[in-house]
Amino acid sequence: MCSSTHRHSLHCILPPYILSQIAENGSPELRAMAIRSLLVDPTMRLVRASTAGPVTGAVARRRAAAGNILSPSPLRTIRDAGGEPEAPGATVVRREGDAPTGDIAVDEAYDGLGATFALFWEAYQRNSIDDAGMPLDATVHYDQDYDNAFWDGTQMVFGDGDGELFNRFTISLDVIGHELTHGMTEKEAGLAYFNQSGALNESISDVFGSLVKQHLLGQTADQADWLIGAELLTAKVKGVGLRSMKAPGTAYDDPVLGKDPQPGHMDDFVRTNQDNGGVHINSGIPNRAFYLAAIALGGNAWDRAGQIWYNALLDPNTRANTDFAGFARVTIDVAMRLHGSGSAEVTAVTEAWSAVGVI
Amino acid sequence: MQAGKACDETVTGEARMRIEGGLAHFPGLAKDQTVSFDDLATPERQEITSLADQTNFFSCVASNDTARPDARTYTVGLTIDGRSRELRLAEPIQDPAMAKLVSVVRRLSKQHASIR
Repeated sequence: MCSSTHRHSLHCILPPYILSQIAENGSPELRAMAIRSLLVDPTMRLVRASTAGPVTGAVARRRAAAGNILSPSPLRTIRDAGGEPEAPGATVVRREGDAPTGDIAVDEAYDGLGATFALFWEAYQRNSIDDAGMPLDATVHYDQDYDNAFWDGTQMVFGDGDGELFNRFTISLDVIGHELTHGMTEKEAGLAYFNQSGALNESISDVFGSLVKQHLLGQTADQADWLIGAELLTAKVKGVGLRSMKAPGTAYDDPVLGKDPQPGHMDDFVRTNQDNGGVHINSGIPNRAFYLAAIALGGNAWDRAGQIWYNALLDPNTRANTDFAGFARVTIDVAMRLHGSGSAEVTAVTEAWSAVGVI
Repeated sequence: MQAGKACDETVTGEARMRIEGGLAHFPGLAKDQTVSFDDLATPERQEITSLADQTNFFSCVASNDTARPDARTYTVGLTIDGRSRELRLAEPIQDPAMAKLVSVVRRLSKQHASIR
């Protein structure tokens, strides 16, 4: 029963589904009250406890808009494949909220998923991969001497590396961000993984992978190393990482791995049937465009440059077959929308794409 | 392959592996690797032939799967007692026995290629 002393506790008289309607459609004051009521309603608390999942993007944004600061949180599950080529791994080794396990791959994966979630929520108000609170799953210790990490459509999969050329693939935070961003791209523009659209898909993953690391470290654009996988190569390899966004083609030059084949300008675009039409090769061109835009704008790269790239990825004009020039046009359009046609942002983005020969 | 051949130490052949895709493209690693059964220990040879049996490697229907971002595509070739076939398989490989076969061939062909 309600007492007369807390007339605003709407949960006493209104069922949760009506409170939800008010929270969505009421005046600002009513919305705030409805949301507060929903949050303290014992039924809702039971529901939250039993599902133990993150709230959806819409609900999270509604709460934030109503001044009720309850940010969504990630829902992480890490599994161990035990050296077998199976994903998901057979054993759950760490769930959301669990203490560190002491297994460095498990804990790096857990922390990396959290750092990626944090960038997308704090910088772009995106709630997980699908912006609807999608659980973040990962499998570590996949296969033996496995030199790779990939996104399988539902989860991230990490090998331990061979210890000869590569360290464990959880070691580089930007690689974790890179893989999760593939999931986001799949949910948004759906860039086809072949030729220029595929290289753009790869570049988007490098951009946000790097931003995850910069965001966690609190680095400005000029402080960042702009390397992907800087920790991944062992000391036996002549190289500093898998790719350099700042200077494509300079990340490694090693007797076993060969020389980094990435171009940084359209004049050097590589036409090949390998690597899905050069998706990891020609991504150097849009990677450098982002780097140049971020450096020109200064400050934190995830703010203005990252915001423009993020909105461009969500823009309906970015489609499955969008090429470099098409994406460049979208980023310039987005910069105009967000900052105005004569803005420094439009100039920086336009000059960046021009400098790499895309426009 | 004949049933029971997996345990025969006299089995002859070779295993081949080509890997495409992955988190990065390394020109130095983008080449075929071949290991002769003559260079394998008996248990290694037996494991390959046993897995080839389990997966019906020489008669199974080829998959048309395409690799997801950063996943690898494997071209696995086996020649065992005169029978030969190549299969192209994209990660994640759903059949556990086939995934195991790919894993074993990948590791053995790399070990015997003496990369570094």
